[in-house]
Amino acid sequence: MSIFTQNRSVRIFIGILVLFTLGVTVMSEAYGTGAISVSFTKVLGMTLCLCLAALAMDLVWGYCGILSLGHFAFFGLGGYGIGMWLMTARTEAVVRANLAGGVIPPTEAEVSQATALQIFSVVGAEDWPWMWAASDSLFLSLVLIVAVPGLLALVFGWLAFRSRVTGVYLSILTQAMTLALSLYLFQNDTGLRGNNGLSGLQNIPGAEAIGQDRISIWFFWASAVALGLAYVAAAWLISSKFGNIIRGIRDDEQRVRFLGYRVESYKLFVFTLTGILCGIAGALYYPQAGIINPDEIAPIASIYLAVWVAIGGRGRLYGAVIGAAVVSLLSTYFTGGRAPDIALGAFRIEWVDWWPVLLGLGFVLVTLFAPKGLGGLVDYVVRKDRA
Amino acid sequence: MSSLLEVQGVSVTFDGFRAINNLSFQIGMPEMRAVIGPNGAGKTTFMDIVTGKTRPDTGSVRWGDLGHSLLSMSEAQIAQAGIGRKFQRPTVFEDQSVQDNLRVALKKPRGPIAAILDRTTDTDRARISEIAGEIGLADHLSTRAGILSHGQKQWLEIGMLLAQDPKLLLVDEPAAGMTTEEREHTTALLKRLAETHAVVVVEHDMEFVRRLDCRVTVLHEGAVLAEGSLEHVMADGRVVDVYLGR
Repeated sequence: MSIFTQNRSVRIFIGILVLFTLGVTVMSEAYGTGAISVSFTKVLGMTLCLCLAALAMDLVWGYCGILSLGHFAFFGLGGYGIGMWLMTARTEAVVRANLAGGVIPPTEAEVSQATALQIFSVVGAEDWPWMWAASDSLFLSLVLIVAVPGLLALVFGWLAFRSRVTGVYLSILTQAMTLALSLYLFQNDTGLRGNNGLSGLQNIPGAEAIGQDRISIWFFWASAVALGLAYVAAAWLISSKFGNIIRGIRDDEQRVRFLGYRVESYKLFVFTLTGILCGIAGALYYPQAGIINPDEIAPIASIYLAVWVAIGGRGRLYGAVIGAAVVSLLSTYFTGGRAPDIALGAFRIEWVDWWPVLLGLGFVLVTLFAPKGLGGLVDYVVRKDRA
Repeated sequence: MSSLLEVQGVSVTFDGFRAINNLSFQIGMPEMRAVIGPNGAGKTTFMDIVTGKTRPDTGSVRWGDLGHSLLSMSEAQIAQAGIGRKFQRPTVFEDQSVQDNLRVALKKPRGPIAAILDRTTDTDRARISEIAGEIGLADHLSTRAGILSHGQKQWLEIGMLLAQDPKLLLVDEPAAGMTTEEREHTTALLKRLAETHAVVVVEHDMEFVRRLDCRVTVLHEGAVLAEGSLEHVMADGRVVDVYLGR
């Protein structure tokens, strides 16, 4: 593909991603020395998924100028999509095993009923909610992982862009969207187990005999492949005339419109595409996280997504990836109890509490001293001649 | 000469303020027309109405031989129909090269999918360098538009209009902030364009209008006050009043 020959950053990025994936593999417990624990393999795989979401955020915000503060909603929907299938298939297997001891083999209806009871008794229900209709089919679930976030983005974007809602108003609207979705999912009778969310997602149906050590590295590979493919596709997209046009929309929407382009169609295209990318990222993330609940798509999550891209440097694809990787790994370090607390006599710095302060400080510093983000520093090192 | 754009009895009110008051205007092709008037005369609002940015309360705006109404069309549709607009402040995509600016403007299918699959053909390349030559930016094709001089940006924007291949060009204050030499270039460029296009130039600068040497429409309080040659309108007592103050 010509994108590799034309675009040096794509070659470098893919090279680094391949090396990183190989490095993690040879240090993994399943296929290597075991220097990287299963749980840390999962953290790294999840980080790659967050990088993918940040890449989407960079496309929609950094390149098209739409500051969406709701893209994590699409991420969550992807997670719920795969979660329903995982939970259904896994619970059904357990139920079958339990019923197998009886004298008369259970009917399919009995299995289905028992599975539903098992899943939904926690919210006081015993029947399958309508939104689980496709949950017994992996294929349909995969279709929905793309279709549901895509459709929500399409409808929301169509309404917003058609009315020419822009700037901070659009940001507020997207926050409202993700908040509304989160509150809706919190309700017990929505059908997605309310605040319990979906759990046990790390158990892959049909792979009971395979340990988490191997499953974790498989998901890590899948996440790396998804990020790599999305990166190449995004680089190809923005190198086309389409890329010139959406950057034009970001910088001067009016000019683009008076050149005869329907700005709304372009925004809708980018918004929907990135919504789908976030959905895919979420579907890869939550089997590694093991649990999803409505808190995941609280408004703050989407704001973090924007913060990562801002720190990494918007308007450059590797910037988004760097930002998401650095900030989310630091976040894991500081909030995961790994960072040693600092005793200052009577006062004690506990990093779990101080991490948001540190993040805020980092955000301010980057804004002040590296307005192009951490990705901009890469430019500075790589091509000093162009300043 | 049949009429290309025909504006009939148009009025528009913003919060009780009558920005355009029963305005009628007509231009054929090829023709150069200067629209002058003091601040608040409605010059920019007039352009907004023609390009679809503002919807008038009453009146009609008709386009082309078939007299299609522009009022039901979106900005993008109007632009595609053949009306190009240059803004007062030079608006080019500063982040992108001169070449990319022209490439985006080039008359080609405007949909997202077409833009993704678009390949710059030899014809496109030839057209881009032709336009770049026309606007004096042939040596700056790969220059980032943001670092062009003010005058060069104005030209680039005119070049982007040309790339659209419009029939009518609406040009808002093309000479603002230009050096004398740049003004001469701009005058020559606009005159050349007016040989094959309809060109409406909104201008404050009387000296520049005099150089354009064309028919002049004077707007005042949202209506046409006078129309004719510059000498003719400047001989009109009302025009003098408006410009020199009462």
